[in-house]
Amino acid sequence: MATVEVKNLRKQYRNVVALDGVSLEARAGQMVTLLGPSGCGKSTTLRCLAGFLEPDGGDVRIDGESILSIPSNRRGFGVVFQNYALFPHMTVAENVGYGLKLRKCAKSEIHARVVEVLRLVRLTGLEDRLPREISGGQQQRVALARALVLKPRLLLLDEPLANLDARLRDEVRWLVRDLQQQSGITAFYVTHDQSEAMAISDMVAVMKAGRVAQFASPREIYQRPAERYVANFTGEANILTCRTAVPAGETRMRVGVGGADLEVDCAPAARTAGDVELLLRPEALRLAGPDDTAAFRGIVTKCAFLGASQHCEIELPDGNILKLAAPPNARVVPGESAGVVIDCTHAWAMPKVPA
Amino acid sequence: MTAAATPFGDAPAARYGFGLLVVLLYVFLLAPLVTIVGASFTSGMLIEFPPRGFSLQWYGQFFQRDNLVAALLVSLRVGLITAVVTSIMAMMAALAGQAMAGKLGGWFQIGMVLPLLVPELLTGVGLLFFLYKIGLGRSLLGLQIGHILMSFPYAYVSISAALRQVPPSLGEASSSLGATGWQTFRLVTLPLVRPGLVMGAIFAFINSFDLYTMSLLLKPVGGTTLPLALFDFLTYEFKPTAAAAATLSILLALVGVALVQRLVGLQRAF
Repeated sequence: MATVEVKNLRKQYRNVVALDGVSLEARAGQMVTLLGPSGCGKSTTLRCLAGFLEPDGGDVRIDGESILSIPSNRRGFGVVFQNYALFPHMTVAENVGYGLKLRKCAKSEIHARVVEVLRLVRLTGLEDRLPREISGGQQQRVALARALVLKPRLLLLDEPLANLDARLRDEVRWLVRDLQQQSGITAFYVTHDQSEAMAISDMVAVMKAGRVAQFASPREIYQRPAERYVANFTGEANILTCRTAVPAGETRMRVGVGGADLEVDCAPAARTAGDVELLLRPEALRLAGPDDTAAFRGIVTKCAFLGASQHCEIELPDGNILKLAAPPNARVVPGESAGVVIDCTHAWAMPKVPA
Repeated sequence: MTAAATPFGDAPAARYGFGLLVVLLYVFLLAPLVTIVGASFTSGMLIEFPPRGFSLQWYGQFFQRDNLVAALLVSLRVGLITAVVTSIMAMMAALAGQAMAGKLGGWFQIGMVLPLLVPELLTGVGLLFFLYKIGLGRSLLGLQIGHILMSFPYAYVSISAALRQVPPSLGEASSSLGATGWQTFRLVTLPLVRPGLVMGAIFAFINSFDLYTMSLLLKPVGGTTLPLALFDFLTYEFKPTAAAAATLSILLALVGVALVQRLVGLQRAF
């Protein structure tokens, strides 16, 4: 178990700034996910942790000690790659036993530990296969076993599921999480898939152009994002520009939006921001029935039947558009007027940040 | 069968046409070999095809000519040393080339194959002056250096192509598991580029065995290589002994191919 502190990490390639002061920390046994689109610096951060890349500035400390001067082969971290990076000329057992062999372990001990870890990743019986003779999901589990067998201080996973199809992705994802929790290894996980990030992490760092836009728990990232960028990246989001916004109490604001006047929770920075945006997740919205008092009224511009629900878009008087899911048999007709009920506990005001 | 059987379609005319083309190609490639091998077994006194009768006398003749046998031994020795030294140097150069990024890497690649691009005669003359300057003119060592220089690009191209097939993440994975650079090379990189390495060594050997211009310019005093000796021989006597020597060379190339097949499998070597 190890705590990891990443402090103000910087990396520049010629004229591209890859990391612009990345700071993060992982407590012992936590799984921290770096989430963001390609080019946001998430893989670069991981490669600096692994020691494949030397940052230009900043520090990485494990249990308080800087590791930047230690070469990657002496850091004792397990790394799992997107393309598995199994040694194609070695069998499954040889791949998994590679690190133990380098550590000059006795043959019998290597054998015992390889068998044990292969049982953990449910690959018993495939010891003598070559990587090309097993499926992608199995290959990634071998890669995981190869990293775990050394009982690493830190586990680094670089988009480990990106090359797998949807069904295998689910299976391997839960396996990764289970093993990480059972062994209590601190882990960093890079992905561009928000649902993957939410499902398996203790903490999520949403990255944007070489910086950490927000570092918080999955729940907070989703429900209380710091800005539009984070909200959009973590799921379906209606983001409305507020006409008026005044602080109302410690953590709340009154906002005027779409012809309604609402009191909602807000991000601290929203209280002093010039412009404020309101986040409404689709599950905070409901089509108004005859007995409801609708917060918003607008004109239906689009309606598509999806089976279990209908996807509707409603244009409000101030030009904002609301996207929401309506029950499959609700009468929604484009061009007609419709009311929307909102659940204010799921509404969230955030400062408008230039993109 | 879904794909067309020939590149020209599946009609009978296309099939026969394609078949004929393949046959012609092989005739073109193999005719000189068949002629020379056939001629070496003649019982007549001249190189001719088809051979007159059958005998192994010209092989006997070849091994009785001390100057030809000596030249064969020189060629074999120079070739073997070339193969070993060249493949080690080319392996190191390919690793260096891979480590260089961007434009520099591109220029490095071109530099490494320069001996292929510059006319052999120019390189040979230049090398001759240079070797005299450093006191190695007309020595066996000088000849050896020339052969290594001319064979290097073949080995380099073969090895660096094999190295490009090894994803960089394998090296990183190996390092993260605790391997030093040397351990990664020995346990991961080397086994994966072995087919290219063996192929490169064999290319280097065959190229060295075959070099004429370079050998002519650099040959040591009192020594000569097989191609030079054969040319001298043919200038004065047009005997099937030369055909026998050529056949032995072909046999050597076949041994090389068999070796590749045995060690790495031909499919993987190309």
